[in-house]
Amino acid sequence: MVRVLVIGCGNPDRGDDAAGILVVRRLRERGVAARQHSSDGLALIDAWSEAEYVIMIDTVITGAPAGTINGCMGADAVLLRSAGTSSHSFDVASAIELARALDRMPGSLKIYGIEGCAFEPGTQPQPVVLAAAERVASLVLAEVQRLEAAEPRG
Amino acid sequence: MTGRTIKVPILTRVEGEGSLQIKFRGERVEDVKLTIFEPPRMFEAFLRGRHAFEAPDITARICGICPIAYQMSAVHAIEKALGVKIDPAVRQLRRLFYCGEWIESHALHIYMLHAPDFLGYADAIEMARDHGEKVAQALRLKKIGNTLMTVLGGREIHPISVCVGGFYKVPTRSDLRELVDDLKWARDASIETVRLVAGFPFPEFEQDYEFVALSHKDEYPLNKGRLISNKGLDIEASEYEDHFFEQHVKHSNALQSQLRKRGSYMVGPMARFNLNYDKLPESARQAAAEVGLKVPVLNPFRSIIVRAVELVFACEEALRIIGEYEPPEAPRAKVRMRAGTGQAITEAPRGILYHRYQIDGEGKILAAKIVPPTSQNQKRIEDDLWQFVPQLSALPQEEITLRCEQAVRNYDPCISCATHFLRLEMTRE
Repeated sequence: MVRVLVIGCGNPDRGDDAAGILVVRRLRERGVAARQHSSDGLALIDAWSEAEYVIMIDTVITGAPAGTINGCMGADAVLLRSAGTSSHSFDVASAIELARALDRMPGSLKIYGIEGCAFEPGTQPQPVVLAAAERVASLVLAEVQRLEAAEPRG
Repeated sequence: MTGRTIKVPILTRVEGEGSLQIKFRGERVEDVKLTIFEPPRMFEAFLRGRHAFEAPDITARICGICPIAYQMSAVHAIEKALGVKIDPAVRQLRRLFYCGEWIESHALHIYMLHAPDFLGYADAIEMARDHGEKVAQALRLKKIGNTLMTVLGGREIHPISVCVGGFYKVPTRSDLRELVDDLKWARDASIETVRLVAGFPFPEFEQDYEFVALSHKDEYPLNKGRLISNKGLDIEASEYEDHFFEQHVKHSNALQSQLRKRGSYMVGPMARFNLNYDKLPESARQAAAEVGLKVPVLNPFRSIIVRAVELVFACEEALRIIGEYEPPEAPRAKVRMRAGTGQAITEAPRGILYHRYQIDGEGKILAAKIVPPTSQNQKRIEDDLWQFVPQLSALPQEEITLRCEQAVRNYDPCISCATHFLRLEMTRE
């Protein structure tokens, strides 16, 4: 069990979807052992069981301008669940709902959503998304440092 | 004459983008169309001009669920074109690799995608609220399959270890021994799964199928054998295109595969089970016998039990291979380039996957052909619905829709290999 686990989701080769992965790369440069997640959302449930605090970063589409940063706790993330189109794969919000049904939610789950709107294969994220990823990396770094320094819970 | 239209905007738990239209005239079914509108992905075209050694990694991208199937059919076909003989230990490792994919894919489909149909839940999340223990079991089973894939392939999605001639790197005995306890648990959980799903309610529905699967004299089929059917087919992979053809139908972007002069056919767990029952390990046969599952299984809704029996097989086979494993002297055979054409068929979780490559003397791919299992089952799914829907006509429209979705899911269609969501549209005139 680790104290804090940071997971960035996304596809580095699909435009704005790379945001979560970019945050992971930036955090690693700053010494945080952040994890990249590009596969099935179901695997997240197991990963979450390894930590007390989990921070996730993913690209979201809420209709806000690209680069907008949304921060929410896991309990609210169900609102972002896709319209049920996932089939052989489960998205992050589905994984949260499933973890809750199975009573396997981590002690604390915080999600940073970076608004994206361009997902063409083989493209780079937009400058506004790159800038947002940089800001989120700084926010997460500060949060990790605060949590690592804090007294263990309970 | 009264008319009504049912539209279900999204059918979940089927892979790919497509829709299903069923047209009634009175109580009579007038038309059934499985439409796949996901744009063509052009893999066969962009393989042309690439080096043959790139084919396993390029084709693995066709699917995130069954990348190993694509890698296996690709390497076998290219090795055939180049006349490469692989080490028997490498072949066993490839079977083991395939077992990992079968375990994760079958566990996912049985519990997370198909079981909710039988138990009356909208999805696995809703099902988990009442059957948390079973869903947790499914997640553990799936994870064990994924771990096996990671140990052999470097990562679970789009593995990177497979190459023409063998593997870039092979595991040590101790790497594999670490998986044994989990696989023993998985085998026992799979036997429980057979018992669980055999208790589901099944609609009365049987068809006179032509089942098509690989067959090997002493192995349950994964990556070697002749292609046979219950209606007389018995061919080598190199003869596949003499007997099967792909047809473009107006309503679908995926080609429909058919047997010449015979039409649709079924590939996948039921076909393998019915044609290869005697090659299953004792534990899998016992699990089938215990729940009264006998050859031939002709009710496609019972494919969920067959899939669970294959889960037992995959765990048992993985344990056997690990128990007997001696690392190969070299991880891969030496490969000499030559011009040629090679074909291969392997058994993806949802059925046979055909690859053909024509290569020039420098190793450049001149032509490629890939026939995924879902293209092969696509016509058969339509044929099932033609026969199944009339017995539903008295039911409420919502119930008809659910039963049709369930019937499609019998085939575990992976429509990204051939669709992303399925829209059901039903019209009555």
